[in-house]
Amino acid sequence: MTFLTHLSLTHFRNYAHLDLDFTHRLTLLQGDNAQGKTNLLEAVYLLATSKPVHAQTEREVVDWQAQEEPIPYCRVAAQVRAGEGERPLELEVIFTPRSDGLNFTKQVKVNGVGKRSMDLIGLLRAVLFLPEDIRLVDGGPGERRRYLDIALCQIDPAYCRSLSEYQKVLAQRNSLLKALREQGVQAASPAVDAQLDFWDEKLVQHGAIALAKRQNFVAELDVLARQRHADLSGGRETLYVEYLPSFNYGPLDEGEYRRWRAGNRLGEDGMSGDAGLAAFTVTPEAVAQRFTRRLGERRRRELAAGATLYGPHRDDLRLLANGRDLRAYGSRGQQRSAALALKLAEVQAMTASTGSAPLLLLDDVMSELDANRRSTLLAALEGVEQAILTTTDWDDFTPEFRAAAQCLHVRAGEVFPASEAAQADGASHGGESPRG
Amino acid sequence: MQPLAEPVSRLIDAFAQLPGIGPKTASRLAYFLLRSDESIALNLAKALEELKANTLFCSICFNIADRDPCPVCDDAQRNHALICVVEEPLDVQAIERTGEYAGVYHVLHGAISPVEGVGPDELKIAELLQRIQAGGSAAPPDVDPAHAADWTLLHPSIQEILLATNPNLEGEATAMYISRLVKPLGIRVTRLARGLPMGGDLEYADEVTLGRALTGRSEM
Ligand SMILES: [Zn+2]
Repeated sequence: MTFLTHLSLTHFRNYAHLDLDFTHRLTLLQGDNAQGKTNLLEAVYLLATSKPVHAQTEREVVDWQAQEEPIPYCRVAAQVRAGEGERPLELEVIFTPRSDGLNFTKQVKVNGVGKRSMDLIGLLRAVLFLPEDIRLVDGGPGERRRYLDIALCQIDPAYCRSLSEYQKVLAQRNSLLKALREQGVQAASPAVDAQLDFWDEKLVQHGAIALAKRQNFVAELDVLARQRHADLSGGRETLYVEYLPSFNYGPLDEGEYRRWRAGNRLGEDGMSGDAGLAAFTVTPEAVAQRFTRRLGERRRRELAAGATLYGPHRDDLRLLANGRDLRAYGSRGQQRSAALALKLAEVQAMTASTGSAPLLLLDDVMSELDANRRSTLLAALEGVEQAILTTTDWDDFTPEFRAAAQCLHVRAGEVFPASEAAQADGASHGGESPRG
Repeated sequence: MQPLAEPVSRLIDAFAQLPGIGPKTASRLAYFLLRSDESIALNLAKALEELKANTLFCSICFNIADRDPCPVCDDAQRNHALICVVEEPLDVQAIERTGEYAGVYHVLHGAISPVEGVGPDELKIAELLQRIQAGGSAAPPDVDPAHAADWTLLHPSIQEILLATNPNLEGEATAMYISRLVKPLGIRVTRLARGLPMGGDLEYADEVTLGRALTGRSEM
């Protein structure tokens, strides 16, 4: 198990300096909006994933006040207890300005020793729940790929390495395809192949590993998310999670694959197989073979596009409830349930494959949920070793829950212990939208 | 605020154009020279002047040298049938330090990197092919007949191309590209043995590791 025992921030967003001990399994942070509750969770998340939440630029994480320091910098550090009697882990991410004054250099340290960002990931595993998680369902494919990447990177270092190599190869291959298009190259030739073949080979090598790991992870998520979703929908709906690749490496023939991609359900509309078939598992070798063939067949098309058209960077997840694509046809309620089911499935998958539950970070999510979804989420908290929750309103949580938690009050980038009196005080006028 | 004296700001601007030097470091260097003994500044000026005036690229291997051909290309003791292909002149220094290599070099001046706009045409790859094709031909008529034997020693037909580009993506791409061009010519193509840290730079490899990679090179 891992337990976050201490967090230390310097010039991180609105925190000039913070030193905070975590003493309980549950920590509840209460405060008005824009006081720093979310920033605190984001700091922890940065240590878990080495990336800021969403696709913010790293510059945004640095506090503007730091600019007035002689040497402006931003530091996020944590102490983590890992396993019984093991040496505590010291995790650290430091941003210092480059000489151009605009960009920052990111430094990662583990136990005081400089490491690659990649080596930080997985030491403190975390799953972050946000009110805007619904974007997982109604947002673009990039949101869903990001969800898969962050979950898988924390579980599987080999995935993280393949993905990182893949991205380097992809950037090179895209630049080459673009340059060839600008030179007016339209078709394959020995001279073109001499330049492209190496990048094809590397794209397939790293891409096939990433694809197979994603496909197999989604097959696992599919089962877990369906169970959690059944709890949330009271068994009225059946959720399927399907990985949508950019080329066919699965068991379907080309005709059926095309119809499945277009939204035809397997086992229906005269198609063979059953709906569960979409959640198959594959080996990297099998994917590599089909990937190589696809690149060979579509050389002309990629030259015309001046970009790489196939591979994990073009893929998506499809979420179906009772056979309907939730992105296009789901109600807000259905979308919210599916997003929550996916997140809970991520927690379970992470627990199953690493042997310990991740740290849960819940950013003001209770207020968005109805009673049924709330109780499902609270039930998930029972099984974890540590959770940090934020709220604007103490009354979002029962007195029993609060009594079991470390209760803290956040105001203007400072964190105070919340006495019972303060909690009562907070309950009377702390929330933006009082509810009773 | 009083503007900087023109010679000072000119020097600061000149320093700031160097890689890895920002405006702050540039000012610090300029003020250091301003305050320190005059001989330091004059030495630097002289070294800079001679850097360009007294160096050139060897017309055979494209290494930086003080004469053409360079001392390596002109050394009859070395094996001129074995060409080690490297990315940068500094890589030649690294390999020479191991004392394990007796062949000659070819400096590409970079590696294939489409992201940076570097393709095969930006590197000395065509020159390498010309060099291979010219190997083993008879001495041209302007060579003194008394030195014809030496000339033949220095221009034998090429037996082996040892690809010593960096063990990273761009270095591998370059090695693969050259190998595809050279192999059909019936010439042995080898690559530095694994054991060099992947993603690394030849220039920073320690001598023992690099020496081992040289002797244990493998067929491509
Ligand atoms: Zn030379």
